[in-house]
Amino acid sequence: MSPMRKIIHRACFVVSRTVYMTCCCGCCSALRPHYKRLVDNIFPANPQDELVKSNMEKLTYYSLTSPEKLDRIGEYLFQKASRDIYRRRHGFVIIAMEAMDQLLVACHSQTLNLFVESFLKMVQKLLESTDPQLQILATQSFVRFANIEEDTPSYHRRYDFFVSKFSAMCHSNHADTVTRDKIRLAGIQGLQGVIRKTVSDDLVENIWEAQHMDKIVPSLLYNMQTAEKYETVSCMEGGGGAEPPARLAEACLRELVGRASFGHIRSVLRPVLTHFDRHELWIPNDFAVHTFMIIMFSIQAQYSYSVVEALMQHLDAAGGHSADPRARTRVRAARATVLSNIVAIAAGDSVGPSVLEIINNLLTNLRSSVARDSEQKETDEKLYQEALINALKEFADHLPDFQKIDIMMFIVNKVPSIQRGNKGTKADAMLQSILLKSLLKVGTTYRTVELSKAFPAAFLEALLRAGGAGEAHARALLQRILHTLLDRRDNAPRLLRASVEYAELGLTVEKCSRQDLIFISKHGYALFSSLYEGLQLESNTMENVEAIYTTLALICIELGSEETVCDILQLILAIQQSGLTNPVLSVAQQCQLQAISISLAALIPHVMMLPRLGEYIHKIIAARREEAPHLLPPLREDYDDLHPSKMPSKLPYLMMDLMALCELLKAAGIEVGRLSASSPYAAGSAAAPHRHSWVEAGAAAGRDSLAELAAPTTELDSANSSPGLQRAGGAGEAVSLEALRRAAGGPSPAERRDAERRRATLNNAFRTAPFDQLLHITQPKYEIKDKLEEIFNSITEEPLLPASGSCSPAGQKSYQQNVPPYTKYFPELFLY
Amino acid sequence: MEDYKFLFKVVLVGNAGVGKTCLVRRFTQGLFPPGQGATIGVDFMIKTVEVDGEKVKLQIWDTAGQERFRSITQSYYRSAHALILVYDISCQPTFDCLPDWLREIEEYANNKVLRILVGNKTDREDREIPRHIGEDFAQRHGMYFLETSAKEAENVERLFMEIAVELMEQAKCKELPKYDGSLGPINGKTTSVGDSSCCLR
Repeated sequence: MSPMRKIIHRACFVVSRTVYMTCCCGCCSALRPHYKRLVDNIFPANPQDELVKSNMEKLTYYSLTSPEKLDRIGEYLFQKASRDIYRRRHGFVIIAMEAMDQLLVACHSQTLNLFVESFLKMVQKLLESTDPQLQILATQSFVRFANIEEDTPSYHRRYDFFVSKFSAMCHSNHADTVTRDKIRLAGIQGLQGVIRKTVSDDLVENIWEAQHMDKIVPSLLYNMQTAEKYETVSCMEGGGGAEPPARLAEACLRELVGRASFGHIRSVLRPVLTHFDRHELWIPNDFAVHTFMIIMFSIQAQYSYSVVEALMQHLDAAGGHSADPRARTRVRAARATVLSNIVAIAAGDSVGPSVLEIINNLLTNLRSSVARDSEQKETDEKLYQEALINALKEFADHLPDFQKIDIMMFIVNKVPSIQRGNKGTKADAMLQSILLKSLLKVGTTYRTVELSKAFPAAFLEALLRAGGAGEAHARALLQRILHTLLDRRDNAPRLLRASVEYAELGLTVEKCSRQDLIFISKHGYALFSSLYEGLQLESNTMENVEAIYTTLALICIELGSEETVCDILQLILAIQQSGLTNPVLSVAQQCQLQAISISLAALIPHVMMLPRLGEYIHKIIAARREEAPHLLPPLREDYDDLHPSKMPSKLPYLMMDLMALCELLKAAGIEVGRLSASSPYAAGSAAAPHRHSWVEAGAAAGRDSLAELAAPTTELDSANSSPGLQRAGGAGEAVSLEALRRAAGGPSPAERRDAERRRATLNNAFRTAPFDQLLHITQPKYEIKDKLEEIFNSITEEPLLPASGSCSPAGQKSYQQNVPPYTKYFPELFLY
Repeated sequence: MEDYKFLFKVVLVGNAGVGKTCLVRRFTQGLFPPGQGATIGVDFMIKTVEVDGEKVKLQIWDTAGQERFRSITQSYYRSAHALILVYDISCQPTFDCLPDWLREIEEYANNKVLRILVGNKTDREDREIPRHIGEDFAQRHGMYFLETSAKEAENVERLFMEIAVELMEQAKCKELPKYDGSLGPINGKTTSVGDSSCCLR
């Protein structure tokens, strides 16, 4: 027994000895851990050969059955590969990587965690090598890993090496372009992998941090911008196979932007903007437009306005490093153009305050541009302004109609009001004209259905107020805004020039709706009187007169009806009258007024069935054609060669006659009460439907106030017409603290000048005007006297207050004591 | 074979054409590439050196000098342990830009980053910046100074070795997070100098 044992023991010793020795020799050994043997067996003898498939299956099976060994397998594979890289046996490295890939895919996710560490170390090791082939291989493995969903997040895992290295690969400058593109493609794929792996999980590394985004975003953009034709990239899934880097970079950017939440948008946009600055990609700006389109289309819709916001805030940022102000302006203009290209996309999804914020921001930029512009002459600044206005238009174009009105209100309230008399600064005037231009652009996008919707009271008022002041050009712009809002049937282009031959124009006329009639009955007077006053300015050019003509013609067409015809005719007659009697108007302006009034009158029978009125008008036209063609359209810039006997005021028989018109209308069955009543235009307060005092009217018409004086039906009270008397708030401002303060401070120099001029004109008129006319003007004074008497009488009739003494008759005493009744009868006088 | 003890990130900055890429190539690959094109974005190289018998791995990020890539290169400063600021001794403008570079480093890099000023191209005959001017500048701004020639392989090895030695010193006394091979490079390697309390041994 014992020798037997001994033999066995010795044999065992020998076996173990041999085993030990073979192990030292590096051959396959029985005593090595099982997993190491399995790993060793998957490598072929020759590095050129492929992975030994059957042995790989064994290894996979082993790791599935004993997952606790997986991390050691990974570590061992990594060490083998490291050695092989060092010895430049790339064949084995590739096989090791392949094996790790297979294990990664095969194994269950909960066991993967430790293995992944070795796996990523392996990937990094390969990325560190200078061999492009290994780098690309490593990237592919990384992408494969990125597509695996892990159950357990790994809080401690860091990706910043990968982000850094992949970004560096995206900028590869390998001598061979094919290899270069492959490396760049791999870099982009790697970045995509990192994004996928980290973006959805808050617990792992925050990919949105600046240190990562500053690498990822420029890398993607750099690859996109080098593409020759980025316009055609729209078809995403093309040939499959090898995608050019640009296309993949774009897809990756889309994915990145698409996954960004609200808080992260900025971290993507900031590097984008910096990249465009640095690489001077704003000019030419097609790549910038392309990129921002991509961003706008891939961003979650509710955040799209923040892109607009970011770009807008960047408008003014110092562009790149060029200190040249001209270059800066050009860059700014290019940015604004990009903005106008993308702003429409945001409009659909913008709601509430963000809309106004965008508009406000655009207007602020416009204003600062105007401020710059007035300092130094720059044509590029104009381009910038154009681009901003276009952006405004594009944005408004995509908003629902009710918001357009809001926006127009918003803009019109930003228009600086230039007080008549004081000229305002040049910058103010420029800003005014630019804002009106913006308003016009927004207006053109609005489709008017109902006038009352298009012109809410506050908006109409603001518009008319803006129209009453400013330079001739700005006033013409304002009329154009009215045109676009009034014109529902595309008649405006045909009515740009005054004409009497309407039949040839092919106008579209439809019956006026009930709502529109209500609208015009409410606001007609304000509208008409503002237009009338607009015609009375001596600074008017032919453009202004024609623009107002177009507005009135459009009103005729849109609102012509039996209810309105009297008002319109009344206005036409008032225009005709002012053309005869307003002394501030030049001869040319007088002739122009005659021409437009007859041409408007000719339009009425065209719009409504009033054949006899038509005949009457045509008779006048025919007569004018014979004797005074200068009183007919087309308008001319100057009428210098006019013989004195051909002055409009010398040809009263060629004018339309109020009485005749009344008769004609009466015959057609139209109520003419309003027409035959005294004209509210240029007239005193008595005829005005609301408190539109002489002072206001005079102020609105400014130094042209004599027109009112000259009007035949004017009621004058001596206090108002006495030129020397200064009425508080003479400039006709609304009652406000500012106005009161100004009134308390006495008239400003400008106002004083104004008053002086008015006084001079008045004196002049009294010196030069024919006696008849003067008589006519002064006539109403007696009426006033009558009225006063009437009032005093009524005071005496009224029961007096007990305290004010018993039975004193009308006279000085009661006049002094009873102020209240006075205010009752002359509320206007006590307004200020 | 991950048997190195430390991993340091070294970033090279400086104007275009001062020879950053050549320095890196000379050090990592031992060659001087004539007609080296301009670097685009960032390039990456790795080299393991031995200091006091311990292996130190240097991750070298070679940045583009061109201004248009400035924004991406800046993003690499932050995690750097050492910044090598290179100028060309035969080109005055590259020296004149140094204050701008310092401002950028101030802004984007860690404030404890090791900064080395390098005057490259000592092989050139047409020197414009005398050695002492560079030395003065370095001293004023608390930087190390070295003049090198990538072409003649002069001082290149020394430059990186000194960086490795210095960073290791720092790591040992200031508790720079040790590179622990068993945890892998993806573990906590972003912690920068001095903000970790993990001890060396």
